Amino acid sequence: MLLGGGTVIFLFVMGLLALALLRRPLGAGGKAGDGDPGRGGSERVWFWGLGLAFPLVTLSLLTVYGVVVGDRLLPRDAPDLVTVQAEARQWQWSFSYADAPGRVTENVLHIPSGRPVDVEITSVDVIHAFWVPRLAGKLDAIPGHVNVLRLQADEPGDYAGQSGEFSGLGYREHLFTLRAHDPAGWAAFLEGRTP
Amino acid sequence: MKDILRLSLPLTIWLVSFSAIYGLHGVLCQFDWSGLSGPFGMLWGRLVLVAAWAVAVVLQAMTLVVLLTPRFGGPPGFMRSTTLTLAIVALVAAAWTMFPVAVLSLCL
Amino acid sequence: MTDLPDLSSPTPRRAEALRLHRKLTPIWSARPGLRGVLTTNNNNLVGGIFLAAATLFFVIGGILAMLIRAQLATPGSAFMGPEAYNQVFTMHGTVMMFLFAIPFFEALAVLLLPSMLGTRDMAFPRIGAYGLWVYIFGGSAVILAMLLGLSPDGGWFMYPPLSSAAFSPGIGPDVWLLGISSIEVSAIAAAIEVVVTVLRYRASGMSLSRMPIFAWYILIVAVMILTAFPAMILGSLLLELERAFGLPFFQADNGGDPLLWQHLFWLFGHPEVYIIFLPAAGMMATILPVMARTKLLGYGWVVAAAVSLAVLSFGLWVHHMFTTGIPHLALAFFSAASTLVAVPTAIMIFSWIGTLWKGRPTFDLPMLWILGFFATFVIGGLTGVMLALVPFNWQAHDTHFVVAHLHYVLIGGYVFPMVAAIYYFQPVIIGRTRFFKIGEVAFWITVPAFHVTFLAVHLVGLMGMRRRIWTYDEGQGWTVINLIASVGAFVMAFGFALVILDVVVNALVAPRSRRNPWKAFTLEWATSMPSPMYGFASIPVVHGRYPLEMDPGLPVSIARGEGLLADTSRNRRETLVVSTTDGTPAQVAILPGNSWLPFTLAVVTSTSFLAPLVGAYMLAVAATTGIVVVALIWAWTQGSRTDEGLIDVGHGLRLPTAWEVPDPPGWWGLLMLLLADSVLFGSLLFGYAFLWTIAPNWPPPSYLNPGLAMPALALVGAAALVAGPRLAARAVLRQGRAWGGIGLAGLGALALAGAAASVWLLRPNPTGHAYDATLWVLAGFVLLHTTIAVIMIGYLLARVIAGYLSPRRVGEARIVQLWADYTALTSLVALGAAWLPGAFP
Repeated sequence: MLLGGGTVIFLFVMGLLALALLRRPLGAGGKAGDGDPGRGGSERVWFWGLGLAFPLVTLSLLTVYGVVVGDRLLPRDAPDLVTVQAEARQWQWSFSYADAPGRVTENVLHIPSGRPVDVEITSVDVIHAFWVPRLAGKLDAIPGHVNVLRLQADEPGDYAGQSGEFSGLGYREHLFTLRAHDPAGWAAFLEGRTP
Repeated sequence: MKDILRLSLPLTIWLVSFSAIYGLHGVLCQFDWSGLSGPFGMLWGRLVLVAAWAVAVVLQAMTLVVLLTPRFGGPPGFMRSTTLTLAIVALVAAAWTMFPVAVLSLCL
Repeated sequence: MTDLPDLSSPTPRRAEALRLHRKLTPIWSARPGLRGVLTTNNNNLVGGIFLAAATLFFVIGGILAMLIRAQLATPGSAFMGPEAYNQVFTMHGTVMMFLFAIPFFEALAVLLLPSMLGTRDMAFPRIGAYGLWVYIFGGSAVILAMLLGLSPDGGWFMYPPLSSAAFSPGIGPDVWLLGISSIEVSAIAAAIEVVVTVLRYRASGMSLSRMPIFAWYILIVAVMILTAFPAMILGSLLLELERAFGLPFFQADNGGDPLLWQHLFWLFGHPEVYIIFLPAAGMMATILPVMARTKLLGYGWVVAAAVSLAVLSFGLWVHHMFTTGIPHLALAFFSAASTLVAVPTAIMIFSWIGTLWKGRPTFDLPMLWILGFFATFVIGGLTGVMLALVPFNWQAHDTHFVVAHLHYVLIGGYVFPMVAAIYYFQPVIIGRTRFFKIGEVAFWITVPAFHVTFLAVHLVGLMGMRRRIWTYDEGQGWTVINLIASVGAFVMAFGFALVILDVVVNALVAPRSRRNPWKAFTLEWATSMPSPMYGFASIPVVHGRYPLEMDPGLPVSIARGEGLLADTSRNRRETLVVSTTDGTPAQVAILPGNSWLPFTLAVVTSTSFLAPLVGAYMLAVAATTGIVVVALIWAWTQGSRTDEGLIDVGHGLRLPTAWEVPDPPGWWGLLMLLLADSVLFGSLLFGYAFLWTIAPNWPPPSYLNPGLAMPALALVGAAALVAGPRLAARAVLRQGRAWGGIGLAGLGALALAGAAASVWLLRPNPTGHAYDATLWVLAGFVLLHTTIAVIMIGYLLARVIAGYLSPRRVGEARIVQLWADYTALTSLVALGAAWLPGAFP
């Protein structure tokens, strides 16, 4: 939708530009000052109409939309919420689970499918970012801070995850897997029956 | 030189109030009392932020009014009209850029 | 450079112009040979060298870009390993942003601004030359380190802790920080020079509303440099202090916070985008109307839009930090501000299209590049609006989509208009027309290839390819698109090479240009081509925004000396200083001639920056002393020991020289420097407050309790420092003894320094906690300023004794007074901030 709107605006501006160029190409013997002097009427169209009204209307709609959508993605309270911790280091991820104290998995994050999950993200060395592209946007892992990302996997299965913030030599290989379990599989994981 | 100062004044005020409210929000969220409920069914944190926003908008409107007077607005001409345009821009900016304090969740 | 003005007028007039030309040329010319290059401070030469150096760095940055695209052309490429690749992309960004983009437009400003404004040179020619050499030394050091394999490899924005000593133990980040410091010094120097030039050095009668539109743009940009760079200067200073001495500003375990760097960096970094874009927009607004045979539509609208854009851009810095976990409400502020800046941009775009609409456009080469700008920049702006939306940003951040967006904005919005500017101003700069049609060929190669390359990069970013990964695998589906992008990039590089080749060929063999080939209306076209060393034979008197339209005979009358200051009998470089608003003649500035001082000062400055890199700390200390010595000699060679009185500038007008007024240009220059300094100070206070509220591991274990004596000492010292210079200035005016006032000021500065030193003594370990580290920097700020105040006060005393001050010549006392006031005020604030938390135990 963004792309479509952007294309329409681009084509509109380019069309206007082409029209401006080809409307009155320079005839022979033209020289500086041949153009009209500026007139109040045309300034009104160009500045009040196209310069102010047009971007203000489109942009305010767009911003309100973006802000509202962003607000819906926030980690609010939910009854069946699951909380996990993600700790990044060069170049590895360690995950631990509020529902299974003491349980730590390396480079594989287990979550239940169909339930909201809060991932509490931090780092022990440099800045990384937690990013599972199919489930949510990215959020930075910053030493000394804990950032909370809300995500939900509707279908069980494996989702690819990666770091999204440059962290030195091993950045490219700084990957992990997010494994979403069905309710039975999640129960089994919590009891320690699956690795 | 006064012309240049007048020209820079309105938007500089906007920048100061914008940064101040951003900072205020950071402080409110850091010290955990923004969630306490206050009068009119609003949270205290929200009330403070909305009040700050209102102050910023009023300040900006006052700047515009003051610049409209001949005494502080300078002699008529190019610089005066440009200054007034910028004062209106700053007023719109103050109203627009801080609207999220009224509608969004506070510290998430 | 010694061409005769081409005048098609009767012989006597021509003879008069020729006589003036022969008189002025030796006064304003450089010495012959290499010595002339190193000692010149004429804006024509300084700007030319500046432009050549920036172009050279562009070529280097372009070669680095080709290495990147060669690496990414195929999956699993063995061309470079991650060690080399990380250095290459970091250096590509650094070179292009710091060594090419900013210096290139500064060079154009130095070259063209005096001609546009109808004056003979920049306000501070020696500072301009100094900035040039510092830039060349700093830039060369960075490139040299790269050739030795010692480059930084953490990305061009150097996020700690990755760039901290623990994770980057080599000297790469130090090279970056100290090299960039040189660029910052050079940029601040150029900005001060530009602001004072635009505000005070113009043709007679050129009011603010009659200035060429580019002068407005470059004035705004220079003020932005003065208010944005200091945040970055502070950031690099703090990071270097952490790396070299272990002050933990960015280490969470010790009360620091890596996010502090991101705030400081982007407080600079976002305005930086507009610092780069606005000069290009200024060029658009200058060139496009001439190409359309008309005048700019809505001059006032455009000025208002440019000012709005400049200030709004300071409210955007957090939009580079959308993924750092800042609360969504705060992000929404910046999202709203980010979309708002699109409005002034739209005003400018539609002003240009409207100008084309009312004009009769021609398709000369500069116009082609302008059209390339439109096609490219509008796309970059629209993807920018997309990125300003928080949810979209969370997905696209740090992918190749962002890479493509910023190249659309920077190449489309900056490089294309700059190429147009080079072609448009070629007659002024090198005095030649074009030869062959290489320029058109280069255009049709470069612009399509650019779009092929970066549309592909957009796409691969949307497909999830992260930026800064050194290679990718076969099966990820990115192979074909990357190959297309790489081929396009190489074609584009070939196109840019052709552009450079074309300009060089033109400079060597193309026919001479006649005067004002585009039939433009502004003053830079009123001289012979290329612009002579002295600029204008006499300072023009203008009555409107388009002087050459109102008076087509103006070039001839200027050349014949019918303007102001045509009298060459005083045999020195003179130009006119006007009142800020309406351009009434006010003073006669006496500009310095050729000198070794700028080059020498640049050598010692660069040495003091670069010596610590190789551990030569004693050399660095010696070089710092050298800076003080050279700066004192520099200042001493200005001024006069006798009163000259009013001098005749022509048209029956008599004006004082700038040495005999209470507000000399130097005072204005210092005012601008203090503007930058106060932003740095404000950033420091912001950092302190930020650490206090946001950083983990606060509050610190204990606070500094100042007692009562030290605050009292500071208060008394500040009062003396404020009072002293005033007493001295009054004594000078009454021809009494200034010693008492000067002595009082010196004692005041020493008292303040003592109070600041007590902070260091009472908290001897700045490495334990960020609180102590911040206190050290606050006290260090006071110590630095009071030390400079002491030096200036001593200098003033020597000047009084040597007879450089008189009731007419009080400017220097006023300059010292300004510095003293600023020092007293900021010292009290800094020490108060350091003391307050522990004052009430």
